[in-house]
Amino acid sequence: MALLEVKNLDVRFAVRGGDLTALRGISFSLDKGERLGLVGESGAGKSVAAFSILNLIAQPGYIAGGQILFEGKDLAAMSERELRKIRGNRIAMIFQDPMMTLNPVLTIGTQMVEAIKAHRRISTKDARAIAVDKLRKVQIPSPEKRLDQYPHELSGGMRQRVIIAIALLLDPEIIIADEPTTALDVTIQAEIMALLLDLCEQENVALMLITHDLGVVSQVSQRMLVMYSGRIIEQGPTREIINDAQHPYTQGLINALPQMGEPGARLFQIPGAMPSLKNVPSGCPFNPRCSFATDECRRTMPEYVRAGNVDVACYEVERLIAQEQQAREVTP
Amino acid sequence: MMTATVSRWARVRDSFLWYSFKRDKVAIASFIVLLAMVLSAIFAPLLAPTDPYDLALIDIMNSELPPVGMSGADGAFPLGTDAQGRDMLSTILYGTRVSLMIGFGAVILQAALGIMFGLLAGYLGGRVDAILMRIADVQLSFSTLMVAIIVGAVFKASFGSLMFGEIAIYMLIFIIGVAEWPQIARTVRASVLAEKKKEYVDAAKVMGFRTNRIMFRHILPNTLSPIFVIGTVQIANAIISEAALSFLGLGMPETQPSLGSLIKSGFDYIQSGSWWITLLPGLVLVVLVLVINLLGDWLRDVMNPRLYKG
Repeated sequence: MALLEVKNLDVRFAVRGGDLTALRGISFSLDKGERLGLVGESGAGKSVAAFSILNLIAQPGYIAGGQILFEGKDLAAMSERELRKIRGNRIAMIFQDPMMTLNPVLTIGTQMVEAIKAHRRISTKDARAIAVDKLRKVQIPSPEKRLDQYPHELSGGMRQRVIIAIALLLDPEIIIADEPTTALDVTIQAEIMALLLDLCEQENVALMLITHDLGVVSQVSQRMLVMYSGRIIEQGPTREIINDAQHPYTQGLINALPQMGEPGARLFQIPGAMPSLKNVPSGCPFNPRCSFATDECRRTMPEYVRAGNVDVACYEVERLIAQEQQAREVTP
Repeated sequence: MMTATVSRWARVRDSFLWYSFKRDKVAIASFIVLLAMVLSAIFAPLLAPTDPYDLALIDIMNSELPPVGMSGADGAFPLGTDAQGRDMLSTILYGTRVSLMIGFGAVILQAALGIMFGLLAGYLGGRVDAILMRIADVQLSFSTLMVAIIVGAVFKASFGSLMFGEIAIYMLIFIIGVAEWPQIARTVRASVLAEKKKEYVDAAKVMGFRTNRIMFRHILPNTLSPIFVIGTVQIANAIISEAALSFLGLGMPETQPSLGSLIKSGFDYIQSGSWWITLLPGLVLVVLVLVINLLGDWLRDVMNPRLYKG
């Protein structure tokens, strides 16, 4: 059984004039110690997906359907009290901006001790010992001293290390990292990423990495999901998707990487912009920007088809697979 | 333990607050004056030449003696005496004490109510917010003095003057505290609305903290600076409200005079030449309120998050 299994998750936002669908039929699973990448443009629903896993979508958002099974128990149907036992304790989350995630008026030590004590009955002294141990694990020099410092006394990279240490405090099974390096200096990014990876590997923690950086995903994750307009349009082993993307959108994303173009040439870009939730086109949400779009694409949402080990939601891929099969049948 | 105290002092010494305080002459002067007044009020029983509450010490023959330096003055009463023969210096010291107690007491009550309702309204939002803030609006639409006059008059009528005299100080704290809580509640609510959108609140939720904990431990400390600023100004306001009520005869009784009731008691004699009974406590009141307000202004400048990032 997978550690985390999300089945057909629908998330909607109740706004004036009806509901907006932010996530539509999201299904994926995460095994123990696995590293899963979640990519997509801003507004594709990556962060909403992360928050809904913890059943923490802010009003007016709500889970309209589907299940989030963590060790077989449905988080979408759990009481707030049971959820609190899982949040931070079994599933931890790391946010994008280390400047904002730590409470500016509490010392690092207070925040860490508090987090431990919210879940375990132990003395402040023992909690501090755990905190020091975790700070050492994220390679923070003289951790005892840091405990009495305020967040503003640390640099951005240091703070993100502290945040990783806080995520690791209670030895969670899953860490959800929502663009953990986006707000950092490029040189620090690689360091923090490597650290996070190392720790997850050492402690056998499953990592769900949310990012819009395909480069990071390709290096870090074993499997990846590509999201577009609240749907997963392609998911499968990272290597297969990066080397041979099936969905026209994923292909576009990969072709848009600077590494893909000739030196000096203009970068490729996918024409148009992602539709806002208010006016998602009928059929496949990508159809207005897709060069393969047909009437069928404009009418109905494609189902997932299997290409190799990859699940793709695209009629064009479906046609290509059918053609290939025909060709194989004609020439035995 | 030693190292902790040293570093705490070092933190204060290195802080922006201390730095800007050192450079602001008005703030230093106001602080010194306020400190002197607070200390002399606290130690009034030691400093005052006589005890104005002790009726046995009062001699009616000493009434309306002018301050030292005027003809007819008595050296035993440096600031003169009032119409009942009480030493003005002693009554002013004790009066400042009463006024400050009411000022601080009322603001503590206001802050407790205001912080609680402001936090609840801001953080929980929705219906709770709507109900609490409408109550605040309704309350603000009555003037503090009007509410206080009505409540005070009812109390005075039902308890009788004597009994009223004993509970007057608590009642004034209660009336002024309850009448002014919406000021603080609104400020707190506004900063909570801004704070709760910040990521550290999300992070706290993700950590599995309880709502109470997030509100009081994580959000509240981040909204303290505006509370400090408003609180300081409100102390001055409460002292003035008390003085106004006392002046109208609904505040502290003559036997335990506050600055306001001293001003009132002298007002009847101002035409007959005994100006000092009204003027001296009036001056003390003005200086007290002024320095508190000046300190409040300085605090607002320093703690304005737009000017200074913590």
